Amino acid sequence: MITLFADSGPAVHITSAQLFSIGPIVITNAILYGWICSIIMCVLLIGVARIVTLRPQGGIVQFIEVGVEFIRDLVETSFEDKKISFKYVPYFVTLFFFLLMNNWLGLIPGVGEAFSASGNPLLRAFTGDLNATLAIGIVTMGYVYYSSVKEAGVKEYFSHFFIGSPLNPLYLILGLLEMITDATRVISLSLRLFLNVTIGEIIIAVFSYLGGFIAPLTALPFTLIEIFICALQAYIFVILSVMYLAITVNHSTEEHLTEDNIPETISPRAHEALN
Amino acid sequence: MLLLASTIDTAIIGKGLMIGGGLIGPAIGIGLVGGAYMQAVGRNPETSKFLGQALVFIAIIELMALLAFASIFIVK
Repeated sequence: MITLFADSGPAVHITSAQLFSIGPIVITNAILYGWICSIIMCVLLIGVARIVTLRPQGGIVQFIEVGVEFIRDLVETSFEDKKISFKYVPYFVTLFFFLLMNNWLGLIPGVGEAFSASGNPLLRAFTGDLNATLAIGIVTMGYVYYSSVKEAGVKEYFSHFFIGSPLNPLYLILGLLEMITDATRVISLSLRLFLNVTIGEIIIAVFSYLGGFIAPLTALPFTLIEIFICALQAYIFVILSVMYLAITVNHSTEEHLTEDNIPETISPRAHEALN
Repeated sequence: MLLLASTIDTAIIGKGLMIGGGLIGPAIGIGLVGGAYMQAVGRNPETSKFLGQALVFIAIIELMALLAFASIFIVK
């Protein structure tokens, strides 16, 4: 009697599992695969950077060039001042390729449930671990906060939360709410990436379980969708963090208030009523 | 009520309600975003370059659906 794919339901792991530990430091499967992916990325990207030429080439070089130009244009169009934008291009290009390669390398067969060590998968996608995405989110938002304070100045940075004078109680409450919304960005960025990658893996596991003998056929469409979603999530992570930075930096270079300290967003009729 | 809970696995019902209720809102939201995008392209074909912005809003909405999907693993 041949046993099918898995008799006890699809194997689903939401969290990363401990493989071994070096002293007090626990090494999980996500960390292990993150190291492997980092080595692959370093070799690939440094190798491409060595052989890149002015004359366009085909193959992997063209693919990397398209990605770099895509993110560079994205960052340049988000900022009003082109000179400021050039400073932030390298970080966001690095971030995009890091997330894209980690997402895509997590999808290749063999990563996940294929090889297991003591009941837990040996390899796991690095971005399929909340600790990893939280670390990426904290580093990115820390960089965004640091850069926006550096570009705008401390006073201007805090004044961009308020649409008017903070002495007005309505504007004060709205500004405090805006600050709380700002603080949730780390969590929303990291949760979005983590849940997309993990739930994609779960969906692939469920449909390959349902397929039985023809598991590759039933899992194929969802794997193709995941390839698209993984690229989209890397793009969305980058564009959201660029927008968070650009809002503050662009805000500091323009004047939103009229001479009476009333925002332009209030309609002219309300403006008359206020006077 | 105690009998019902002992004979039927109520966690299954809870998970079903959670998935159904949690995904219907984001589904409507993504439909509205997509519909608005198609309407904008129909009126002015030059706006088709704003697909990236539409996808960003879809990603923001999608987070709610993913949270609902992730919560079913917590229900025992």
